[in-house]
Amino acid sequence: MTRSPLKLDAVTTPILWTRLVSIVDEAAALFTRSAFSTLVREANDFAVLVTDRTGRAIVESTLSIPAFIGTLPETVRYFITRFPPETLAPGDSFITNDPWLGTGHIHDVSTAMPVFSRGELVGFVAIASHVADIGGRLRGTGAADVYEEGLQIPPLQLARGGELDPVLEAIVRRNVRVPEMVIGDLRGHVTTAAQVAARVADLLAETGVDFAALADSVCARSEAAMRMAIARIADGRYAYALPLRIAGTAVELRVCVEIEQDTVTIDYAGSSPQQPTAVNVVPSYTRTYSAYAIKALLAPDIPNNDGCLLPIRVRAPQGSVLNPTYPAPTGARSMIGHQLPAAVMGAMASALPDDARASGAGVSSFTLSGRHAGQTYAVTCFANGGQGASLRYPGLSALSFPSNMANTPIEILEREGPLCVLERSLRQGSGGSGHRSGGDGIRLRFRFAGDEPASCTFMVTNALLGPPGLAGGGSGAPGRLLINDEEWPIGTPRTLVNGDVVTMETAGGGGVGAPDVPPSGSDPAGHCVFR
Amino acid sequence: MAGLKHVRVAVDIGGTFTDGIAVDEETGRVDVAKALTTPDDPGLAVGEVIGDLIARLADGQAGVASRVSEIVHGTTLVTNALIARRGARSALLVTRGMRDALEIRRELRYHLYDLNLQLPEPLTPPSLRFEIDERCDAHGRVLVSPDRDAVAAVARELRAAGVESVAVCFLHAYLEPKHERLVGSWLQTMLPDVPVTLSSDIVREVREYERMTTTVANAYTRPLMARYLHTLETRVRDLGVRAPLRIMLSNGGFTSAAVAASVPIALLESGPAAGVISAAHAALELGDATRVLAFDMGGTTAKAAVVIDGQPNVTHSFEAARVARFRRGSGLPVLVTSLDLIEIGAGGGSIAHTGALGTLAVGPQSAEGRPGPACYGRGGTELTVTDADLLLGYIDPAAFLGGRMTLDVRQAEIVAGALGRQIGCDPIATAVGVREVVDESMAAAARVHIAERGYDPRDFVLVATGGAGPVHAVSVARKLGIGRILCPIAAGAGSCLGLLAAPARAVRSVSRECLLSDYDPVRIAGGLRELGEQIESELRSAGSGAGEMSWQLEADMHFAGQGHSVSVPLAWTPSLAGPPAASIRAAFLAEYQRVFGPAPNEAAAIRIAGWRLSGIGRRSAGRAFFRRPDADDQPVAQQQRRIWDQQAGGFALAPVVMRSSLSPGCRLQGPLVIQEDESTLVVPVPASVSMLPSGAILVDISES
Repeated sequence: MTRSPLKLDAVTTPILWTRLVSIVDEAAALFTRSAFSTLVREANDFAVLVTDRTGRAIVESTLSIPAFIGTLPETVRYFITRFPPETLAPGDSFITNDPWLGTGHIHDVSTAMPVFSRGELVGFVAIASHVADIGGRLRGTGAADVYEEGLQIPPLQLARGGELDPVLEAIVRRNVRVPEMVIGDLRGHVTTAAQVAARVADLLAETGVDFAALADSVCARSEAAMRMAIARIADGRYAYALPLRIAGTAVELRVCVEIEQDTVTIDYAGSSPQQPTAVNVVPSYTRTYSAYAIKALLAPDIPNNDGCLLPIRVRAPQGSVLNPTYPAPTGARSMIGHQLPAAVMGAMASALPDDARASGAGVSSFTLSGRHAGQTYAVTCFANGGQGASLRYPGLSALSFPSNMANTPIEILEREGPLCVLERSLRQGSGGSGHRSGGDGIRLRFRFAGDEPASCTFMVTNALLGPPGLAGGGSGAPGRLLINDEEWPIGTPRTLVNGDVVTMETAGGGGVGAPDVPPSGSDPAGHCVFR
Repeated sequence: MAGLKHVRVAVDIGGTFTDGIAVDEETGRVDVAKALTTPDDPGLAVGEVIGDLIARLADGQAGVASRVSEIVHGTTLVTNALIARRGARSALLVTRGMRDALEIRRELRYHLYDLNLQLPEPLTPPSLRFEIDERCDAHGRVLVSPDRDAVAAVARELRAAGVESVAVCFLHAYLEPKHERLVGSWLQTMLPDVPVTLSSDIVREVREYERMTTTVANAYTRPLMARYLHTLETRVRDLGVRAPLRIMLSNGGFTSAAVAASVPIALLESGPAAGVISAAHAALELGDATRVLAFDMGGTTAKAAVVIDGQPNVTHSFEAARVARFRRGSGLPVLVTSLDLIEIGAGGGSIAHTGALGTLAVGPQSAEGRPGPACYGRGGTELTVTDADLLLGYIDPAAFLGGRMTLDVRQAEIVAGALGRQIGCDPIATAVGVREVVDESMAAAARVHIAERGYDPRDFVLVATGGAGPVHAVSVARKLGIGRILCPIAAGAGSCLGLLAAPARAVRSVSRECLLSDYDPVRIAGGLRELGEQIESELRSAGSGAGEMSWQLEADMHFAGQGHSVSVPLAWTPSLAGPPAASIRAAFLAEYQRVFGPAPNEAAAIRIAGWRLSGIGRRSAGRAFFRRPDADDQPVAQQQRRIWDQQAGGFALAPVVMRSSLSPGCRLQGPLVIQEDESTLVVPVPASVSMLPSGAILVDISES
């Protein structure tokens, strides 16, 4: 069936964009349902997106992880330089877990598959997901460099004609604790990407639309809307400093957000230097979560794509914790990276007092691996904390922010590894006080029930120092880790024996504004340093 | 009375009207009745409609009421109670440590960029959630047994708090229900007047949050539904009807009022499900329509469902009472078997506006009945889909709702002009744009829905129901590449025909996890026979005889290590052995390939997570014929009017025909408009149009 090409006007563009959203959402559902790792199938730790042939992000799965949405296009752009477009064939897939080229730590793999329409390369399907294991030390803050963290996969061809490369498969199998899960998910990447590529090609054939023209149209509209939203803010420099205490070390994020007409420049000059622990945040991750805050604050409902990012520049000094040098360890980068939106919003609070959210708890987690009943297991479970408040709304309790990672159901968790969850409850009153209070964190207690002792690592965010409030709001209660009811340092792995009880408490979110009725024990000054 | 055939009655409660239909199997006569829905006491309108139907059937003769053999009823009461939070004061008993599970949810955000997103409030407040010391592990082994005295203490608190309904959801009860059953039986003794809902009775699936929300939603709506059904039965008795009341389920079957009163959550999509059954049933008349898209468009939403070989697709998870419409994840998860209906878009009252990028968008905001579209002249100031349809000539301003309401074209023009100025279009181009956005987005959603299930839309027949369904059906079909559109009789009473066509249906599931290599056909047969006996007893209570039942068996299966299953249909008759392992394996690999594509590794271990057995009673064979006694032999084109010809891209004169003037067998040519009281069939392109023997209208656009 041939048709005259559709005019990409105010009616047709959003219709086609919606159809692309449907295609990637459907693929995301398929990826979840066929996944092996609980990180994907229960915790939602993945993203699917489609770029144009130059690697510009055009459309993303609706419930994705924001970090991946931002880093995947950069990964695709690197693949384009490494694997020239004229050499690509349908069913090819490329992979890396390099933190600087990928998502910021080696525990996620990023892949891309070319999309062809009428024999021409028109774009890529890109997928990132957290794998069940990557070898090396269990994920935590403890690694001294990236070599300790596990298997590094440089940019390589993952599949040809939809079939996994046997050499790469053999190397991965030999280096991870749960090879069936990891390889099962890598196959899922390839199958899912192939489906998206086929559906996009069908859409283009059916409508006669030129994908490059559609990409231009979609990005141009989002860019224009983003610039309009930025232009509404008064020009100026907005600054903030967010103190963090991670694995016993003080880290400070200093940010200056400069609004100049319709552009934003976010500069982290003066932030702490690169850390010896695995909390370093690579530049693409820094850029992604900084830009995310601007998008959420200014233009939450415009379609997200490369156009939204063009007016936003992000800089962090080389050698800082937000722009570390290889082979810096990065496994626990989210412990700092998830605070970037809070830093940017802290800065913007004087310009956008109604919408800026105080700092909340980043995602905490534990990772447990050992042998039980003759089988090797590797279990990761996330526990989110309280969301920071805004002047208009209190923070929600137990909510993933800025990421979008779900908890693992207890009934699933207890099948995957030998543990018994004694409690998963809200930490009542852990949200910071204020005119609007922060959301509450979570208390997660489990008893280890394995036949053999097992290694367990912990990432408890905002420990020692709770997320600060804004404009006089109180801090959320800090995160805590106890083993057998005694405090345990979060950066230290622990060998658990049968009967040990682990208690993780995630932080509450910061409050906003002075409390209407001053509660006792709050920090009335807060930590906000408005310009 | 012996020898006299029965009268069957169906009543469906809709947003605006409560519709009823009665079929006298003695004479073949069909009567319809309609009353305004009474939201405060929905049974009032139901009683009124039944009374009206009986009066019409009787024609002054006595004894008709006693000839009514059954009343089949569809209702949106459960959905509405969840949306409006009008349920009972309910309590929840959970395993120690899990009291906050309803508030912790899955910790996800359903909108990545909305800093102010809100989540649905749990149906039970924290003060009515109680922890019980009991525990089973992930293999169903007991770690801690519940203590009767502790439960008695909770029961005293429940009584003191005036709790009207209780839900019990313990960890791993999908696998080992005995603690729930024990606590449930104690509560029954301690609080004899309070209904108790056990998670293991409602849904046998892993993942505690979703199972808990389903269980609580059932407890929450149970007293309300029991009261409603009890009152309704009394009203029906008072009309002299002795026939049992049957209730339509979301899964497309019906059950007895007693079962419906104890498992109201299974009624969530009761009304829309009847619409799908109605569409499936109407398509039977074509003889060759193996693939049907049921398309229903009303005032606020449009829904679609896929029907293959007469069987509607089903799904086992659903979301109720969404905080943000169309946002997956913003509602309460409900794990019940339901016809696989999706909301594909807006309805006639949905409002057009400019999106964030200066593009044209429609919905999800709706003008609903009040103020309604601008053309209603009741103060609506925004352009709706109905206004656009009016401006394009598709709706007759003088004949809306059979002439009971006159539409104001001028108002529609004004609001279209206002919106048009924002996007640089004149009022007509704006109206064309609204139609295009609405029809295209519905087609896109339907296309994805069809594609996800592995089918090609071009093989389908579209069956249109709902007030706005026939207005948009041909355009939507055209975009999907669908060649034939069927518009059954009595769009308003369409769901009622479905109620009469539905079979009795009962579903039971059991969680019996094992590797396929360890599967024992004899052992499973015992468990399935047990389920089969429960099903038979439920179907008997809904009026089915033992010899009339058929069975559907599904195994939920996955590769070892995966967490989600595919439902694998298997052959089953009650016998001494379950299906052989080899045939289960083959069926699984085929279904996996169909749903997900290539298997990760065909040699990998395969797991069975659970079994689901459905019993289906005899499907009613009768088909309603609905001939107007006053139909003329010749179609009369009573008038002509300018309508927007979508193929030509301009206005053209088209004939306007009254549906009541058509007779079976007559043939017409599109473009044209066929009007009836409740709706208008718009054929905006060349097409051949004919009336089938039942009175349904078939539009064929495959040549155009």
